[in-house]
Amino acid sequence: MKTAQDIKVNNVILIDGAPWIVQRAEYTKSGRNSAIMKMKLKNLLSGSTSETVYKFDDKMEQVILDQIDVTYSYKADDMYVFVDEEYNQYELSAEDIESVMPYIVDGMTDVCSAVFFEGKVISVDLPTTIVRQIDYTEASARGDTSGKVMKPARLANGTNVKVADFCEIGDWIEIDTRTGDYKSRAKAPA
Amino acid sequence: MKSWDIFCQVIDNFGDIGVTWRLARQITTELHQPVRLFVDDLHTFHHICPQIDPLQDCQRLLGVDIVHWRPDSIVDPSDIVIEAFGCNLSESIISSMLARAQPPIWINLEYLSAEPWIEECHLLPSPQCHGPAKYFFFPGFTARTGGLLRERDLLAERDRFIIEEKAEFLTNLGVEPAPGSSLISLFTYENPQISSWLDTLVAGEASIQLLVPPGRIQADIEHWLGEDKLVLGACYSRGSVVIHPIPFLSQRDYDRLLWSCDLNFVRGEDSFVRAQWAGKPFLWHIYAQDDEAHLQKLSAFLQLYRQQLDAPSAKAMTQFWIDWNRRQDLSEGWTLFTRQRDSLESHAHVWCSKLSMQKSLVESLAEFIQN
Repeated sequence: MKTAQDIKVNNVILIDGAPWIVQRAEYTKSGRNSAIMKMKLKNLLSGSTSETVYKFDDKMEQVILDQIDVTYSYKADDMYVFVDEEYNQYELSAEDIESVMPYIVDGMTDVCSAVFFEGKVISVDLPTTIVRQIDYTEASARGDTSGKVMKPARLANGTNVKVADFCEIGDWIEIDTRTGDYKSRAKAPA
Repeated sequence: MKSWDIFCQVIDNFGDIGVTWRLARQITTELHQPVRLFVDDLHTFHHICPQIDPLQDCQRLLGVDIVHWRPDSIVDPSDIVIEAFGCNLSESIISSMLARAQPPIWINLEYLSAEPWIEECHLLPSPQCHGPAKYFFFPGFTARTGGLLRERDLLAERDRFIIEEKAEFLTNLGVEPAPGSSLISLFTYENPQISSWLDTLVAGEASIQLLVPPGRIQADIEHWLGEDKLVLGACYSRGSVVIHPIPFLSQRDYDRLLWSCDLNFVRGEDSFVRAQWAGKPFLWHIYAQDDEAHLQKLSAFLQLYRQQLDAPSAKAMTQFWIDWNRRQDLSEGWTLFTRQRDSLESHAHVWCSKLSMQKSLVESLAEFIQN
């Protein structure tokens, strides 16, 4: 058992037998009030999220979930199929992979992490940084080269991201999958 | 009809039991629902409520069942369980809660604060890995918090008392207000700098009567007076200042003391709230923390309280409160504070009226339980 103050972002805790991943954890202490941890949790089975609060010394059951490397293969009906190195296939619904859906594109080669709970795959995580191609964006309006001025752009799968003003159609860009933010222009994947 | 259990661990002083005892009584009298109050220290309880027999494990007073809470107490929980101020319930009580066909609603009642983060955390769930649903409940000063303890008829009772009973009440305390004199109640923690304040009072022309119940400031006053011990019923005169040691008062009579005085010095949480319902200017001596976290809490309240206060009054109030709580020389702060007394008095009245428009803590609790 751990206490709430030991739990960090991306740790997984068990509540009523269900695994919840910690998406945000903030410590607060004032006056005589209990020191508290405010946490945003996501149920890895249902996908539901919840804002919660704990006393810093509340006991928590942390679980380490099994993970294996997989890559996206194809979509069949409503299921997204990932394969591991031994060509085992894992099917997940759009709901299971809600957080990575904006970055799923045909032919993507990112090494993802399939997460298992009680022997069943429950979600897939992308690497922190991925590279995607801009499908459409307006031409630079101001000629800014600093990267501080941003403009909208659309990826091949329709996902919209804000990119630096100097980016153009066909450019490859790095995206932080935790925040969805543009990081920089990138080379085309090999 | 729901039944309630309130658990109170007395850390020190009278705030924890003071708040939970008021809460228990209000649930009983205003919601007409049965309440058990579990208290680990009946001797402290006896101080603020002399009818309590510290040697009785179970007793009933004003409709509330009072139980001496021991570490090994076996409890069959009620429909609603309030864990006051983060007092930890034993594993056995939590197991008993889980064993119920319908587990109770478990509420962690927190200390009062004016800090903005309170609003974000109020009523958030705290799902336990092995336990029933638990929720955090934060009292506060805004509509997005759990509100403050306020009896339904409190302000009407206050106004009636001031007209009909104030003079007799003071006489019974042994205090005869002198014409033109200001009455100040003083119930704070220790503060050696009180000597700089008392010196300033004596040097001034205003006639002041200080009403001092037994408490932690008493030794500092004795030191300033050069007396070994304040004697109840005696009057200690120094210049235009008269100090009246008065007895320790029940919650009801302490309210009456606050209503009778022109300015109240209060401390902790319970008397801090009651001073606001008095609608009179006050000074809050906040419970000090080693890491000075209390100063942030003090500032948060000042920021909220002075929002509609004119700038000179806000400045004067802030300086005097901060000087007192930082144990700094009080002479300049007091001089500024007294210059703004009229403005501070009218603001205290407006503040009290504004707070009284919000739901009380018991009303907020009842609404939460119902939903």
